Amino acid sequence: MLLAILVSNSAGNILLERFNGIPSEERLHWKTFMVKLGADNLKGARNEELFVASQKSVYIVYTVLGGVCIYIVGKDDYDELALTEVMFVITSSIKDACGKSPSERLFLDKYGKICLCLDEIVWQGILENTEKERIKRLIGLKPPNPTEI
Amino acid sequence: MAQPLVKKDDDRDDEADYSPFLGIEKGAVLQEARVFNDPQLDPRRCSQVITKLLYLLNQGETFTKVEATEVFFAVTKLFQSKDIGLRRMVYVMIKELSPSADEVIIVTSSLMKDMTSKTDMYRANAIRVLCRITDGTLLTQIERYLKQAIVDKNPVVASAALVSGIHLLQTNPEIVKRWSNEVQEAVQSRAALVQFHALALLHQIRQNDRLAVNKLVSSLTKGSVRSPLAQCLLIRYTSQVIRESANTQAGDRPFYDFLEGCLRHKAEMVIFEAARAITELNGVTTRELTPAITVLQLFLSSSKPVLRFAAVRTLNKVAMTHPMAVTNCNIDMESLISDQNRSIATLAITTLLKTGNESSVDRLMKQITNFMSDIADEFKIVVVEAIRSLCLKFPLKHRSLMNFLSNILREEGGFDYKKAIVDSIVILIRDIPEAKETGLLHLCEFIEDCEFTYLSTQILHFLGIEGPKTSDPSKYIRYIYNRVHLENATVRAAAVSTLAKFGAMVDTLKPRIFVLLRRCLFDNDDEVRDRATLYLNTLGGDGAVVQTGEDVKEFLFGSLDIPLVNLENSLKNYEPSEESFDIYSVPREVKTQPLAEKKAPGKKPTGLGAPPAGPPSTVDAYEKLLFSIPEFANFGKLFKSSAPVELTEAETEYAVNVVKHIFDGHVVFQYNCTNTIPEQLLENVTVIVDASEAEEFAEVASKPLKSLPYDSPGQTFVAFEKPEGTPAIGKFSNMLRFIVKEVDPSTGEAEDDGVEDEYQLEELEVVAADYILKVGVSNFRNAWENMGADCERIDEYGLGPRESLAEAVNAVIDLLGMQPCEGTEVVPNNSRSHTCLLSGVYIGNVKVLVRLQFGLDGPKDVAMKLAVRSEDESVSDAIHEIVASG
Repeated sequence: MLLAILVSNSAGNILLERFNGIPSEERLHWKTFMVKLGADNLKGARNEELFVASQKSVYIVYTVLGGVCIYIVGKDDYDELALTEVMFVITSSIKDACGKSPSERLFLDKYGKICLCLDEIVWQGILENTEKERIKRLIGLKPPNPTEI
Repeated sequence: MAQPLVKKDDDRDDEADYSPFLGIEKGAVLQEARVFNDPQLDPRRCSQVITKLLYLLNQGETFTKVEATEVFFAVTKLFQSKDIGLRRMVYVMIKELSPSADEVIIVTSSLMKDMTSKTDMYRANAIRVLCRITDGTLLTQIERYLKQAIVDKNPVVASAALVSGIHLLQTNPEIVKRWSNEVQEAVQSRAALVQFHALALLHQIRQNDRLAVNKLVSSLTKGSVRSPLAQCLLIRYTSQVIRESANTQAGDRPFYDFLEGCLRHKAEMVIFEAARAITELNGVTTRELTPAITVLQLFLSSSKPVLRFAAVRTLNKVAMTHPMAVTNCNIDMESLISDQNRSIATLAITTLLKTGNESSVDRLMKQITNFMSDIADEFKIVVVEAIRSLCLKFPLKHRSLMNFLSNILREEGGFDYKKAIVDSIVILIRDIPEAKETGLLHLCEFIEDCEFTYLSTQILHFLGIEGPKTSDPSKYIRYIYNRVHLENATVRAAAVSTLAKFGAMVDTLKPRIFVLLRRCLFDNDDEVRDRATLYLNTLGGDGAVVQTGEDVKEFLFGSLDIPLVNLENSLKNYEPSEESFDIYSVPREVKTQPLAEKKAPGKKPTGLGAPPAGPPSTVDAYEKLLFSIPEFANFGKLFKSSAPVELTEAETEYAVNVVKHIFDGHVVFQYNCTNTIPEQLLENVTVIVDASEAEEFAEVASKPLKSLPYDSPGQTFVAFEKPEGTPAIGKFSNMLRFIVKEVDPSTGEAEDDGVEDEYQLEELEVVAADYILKVGVSNFRNAWENMGADCERIDEYGLGPRESLAEAVNAVIDLLGMQPCEGTEVVPNNSRSHTCLLSGVYIGNVKVLVRLQFGLDGPKDVAMKLAVRSEDESVSDAIHEIVASG
C-alpha cells in the first residue's frame, strides 16, 4: 500500500498531500516527520537525487524536483524499490505537466493538471499507471497510443 | 491543515512572485463554486474553481457535511458540459468528495451512462468513480459491465476495472470472487499493466486456496510475464508457495531455479526481489545463498542510494542467520560507513559488527569512532547493541570494546542512548569476568558527571553488588561517597545503601564506612537519614571490626523471597489497624505473564532494568518458588530449569506450557496454565502424567491448582523421583484434568456446580541436554589446557547424510545443550570441515569442555571427531554416550 504522497516547497510548507490508510490523527505526525527528514537531508541535494529511509515497517523515498520536495511513503509490497518506480513516474509526469522541473510557482500554476496526473498514477494506495506518455493522454481523456501497449 | 504559503524568489523574471492560491479561503471558494449552477457553463472557470477546491482538500482542509453536499450537488451539474477537460476534473472531484450513500444516487445515472459510453476514456473513469462511491446493491447492478470491462480490449478500461476489483474485494469479497474467470483471462493479456493488476487481483481472490496459488505460480513461471512489477509479484507468490511446500516435499526445492533465473533479469527491481526471496527461504543452504549474495554485493557499490539501502538492509538480515555468507561483502560495506545517507551507514556498520572476525575488531572500532559523532541517537543505540553482541562473541576483545563504550558514554546523548551503553557495560561485566574491574571503573567515572538520576541509582545499586567482590573494593568508595555530597536526595539515598553494602561485605572497610555513614545522619532528607540510621544500627555502628552476621546481611540486602507484585497487592489491601502488616501473609506463588504480554514478542533482558536480570534471576525466582512449596522443599539445590515448552497449540481454549526443573534426585514439571475462555472458571486443575515411557522416573508428589479464572495464569506441579546424579531420560504424556464451571459474563460470577473434564496435552520429553547447563568460558584454549587431558575421551562418529555441515553442527549443539564458544557455532560458506567449541556444567556441578571436529565425507556424509575434557572421567564418558545414542 502506498500510504502517502506529499509535496512541499523548499521551506517545508505542504503544497499537496494524499494519504491512504493513515488515520487523520496520525497525519500531522507523518507530515512533520517527513518535512524534518527533508530539512535534514535535502539541502544541497541534486535535482531528482533519490533519498531513502525506513521507519519501523514503512519505507520513505524522497527527492527534490526543482523548487519542490516530493515524499512517498509505502509499506509491504511498496518497498524502497517499488517506491523508486512510483517516484520516477511522479517526477516525470510533473515535469511533463510543467514542461520542466517546476519552481514552486510553476507547480502551483499547474496544480490542477498535477492532481489529474496523481489521480492516474495512484488510486487509493495502489499504483495504476506507470507510463508518462500514457498518463499525459489519459488526463486529457484521450486513449493511449495503441503502440505503447 | 492550511499552511501559510511562503513565497519564494523565482528564477524566472516573467513569473510574478505570488502564488495563484495566495490568500485562498474556503468560504470564498465555496461561494465561487456557485458558478457550477450557471445555465451557461464556462468550462475554463469551472476547472479553475475545481482546482482551488482540490488545493484546499490536498492541504488537509475538510468540508463540513453541509458544505460537501452543496459542492457535490453543484459538481453533478457539470455532467451537462461536453468539455473533456472539465469532465476529467469532475471525475476527480467526485472521488475526492466521497459523497454519502444517499447522495450517490444523484450521479449514478450519469456515471452509468458514461460507463456504457462508446468513448473508452469515459468508461474507464466512470468505472473508477462508481467503484469508489458504490455500495453492495449498486455493485450488483453494474457487475455485468465490470466483468466485461475486465476483458475490454482497451488496457486502460481493463486496468480500471481490475484495480476497482482490488479495492472492492475488501468490502464485497463475494461479488469480486465471481469474476475470477475474467481475471484469469486478463492475466494472459498482452498489456503489461493489465497483467500486473490482474495478477495482483487473482492472487488476492485465491490466496486461501493453496492449490490454486501453486497452479498459478507453476503456469506463470513457465510463461512470460511482461512487466517487472508483475514479475516482482510473481516472485513473492513463488516464495509463498516454496514456504508452504517446504514441509511436504522432499528433494530439491521447487521453483528455486526460477528465483535464481530472476537474478539475471534486466530490471534491478526484479533482481533484488529474487535475491531477497532467496535469502528469506527457510533453511537456505550456502549453495542457494551464494548467487543472491553476489548480486546484492554488486548493488552495494551502485550509484543509486535506493539500491545500496535495499542491498545493505537485506544483507543485514542475512548476517543474523548466516554471518559467514556475508563476509565476502565486508570490504564493500566498509566503504558504506562514510555513505552520506546515515541509514545506509548504520546498516553497514551493524552488519559488519555481526560478520567481522576477531582480527578486524580493532580496525572496525576506529572507523566507527569517527562515524558516531554525526549520527542521531536512534542509530547510535543500534550500534551500541551490535557492539555488545560482538563483545560477547569475542570476549578477548573486551578491552577495546569496553573502552569504546566508555568513550561514547562521556559524549553528549539522551537518556535512551546512555541507558543502552550502561546496560551493555553491565551485561559485559556479568558475562566476562575479566572485564569486571575496568567496567566498574568506567561506570564510577560516569556517575561523577551523570545527569540522569535513574541511571545513577541503578549503577550505585550494581556497584553495591559487584564492587565488594573485587580485588580492591576500597577504590570505589570515593566515587560513591562523592554522590552523598553532590547529588539529589534519591541518588544520595542510593549511595548510602551502596556504602552500607561495602561495609557489610568487606570487614576491613567497615570502620571507615561507619565514619562516612555517620556523616549521613545529618543529611537534610528523611530517607537518607533513615537509611544511614538503619544501617549503622544493624551493622553494629560501634565501629568494631566484626564480621557481619549472615542473617543481618540477608535482612538488609537479601532479595525478598516474595514476588514484588504480590507484596504490592498485599500492601494495598492492608488496612491500617492495631495489627501490624505480616510479610509472611504475602502469597509466594509467581503469576506468569497474562495473555496479552505472553503473546507479545519476547524482549531481551536488559542490563539494569531489574538487577540482577537475565537467566540467573529466572533460576533464582524458580528456586524460591519451588522452595516455598513444602512438597518440594527437601529436593535440595535446583540444578537447571528449562525454557518453557509449549504443550498446546496457539489460540486453543487452554494454553499450557511446562518448565522442567532438574534436581539431583528429582525432576519437577511446572505446568503454566492459562484459561482463555471468559465464560469458564476452572477449579482443581491437575495434570495427569503417564510415565510408562520413562522407566527410571516415579511420581512422588503433585500440587493441584485450586482455581484458574479467565486470563489469569496459574501453575500446577508434578514431581518425580529419579536415580541420583544420572541423566535419566524419558517421554511423558500429559492430560489436563479439571472441574469446569460456567461463568455469567454479565456478573462475572461462577455457577456453584461444575463438571469434571479433561484436555489432552502434547507429550513432553526429558532429554540429556536437560542435565547440562550452558555456561560459557571467555578463553576456550586456556580453559582446555587448564582442564588437562586426564579425563579426556576421544572418539569418532559418522553422522550419516546431512543437508549441510551447518545443520550437522547445530544438531550436535542442540543434542548436548552446551554453550558454543568464540562464535564457533557458525560454519563458514563452502567449508568442508569445521571445529566447534562447547562448554557447560554437567549435573553434579562438573565442568565439561567439548571440541567437535566435523568433516564432509563424500558429498553429504558428515563425520565427527568428539573430544571431551571434564573434571570427572565418568562425565566425559556420559557425553560420549549422549552423542552415541542421539
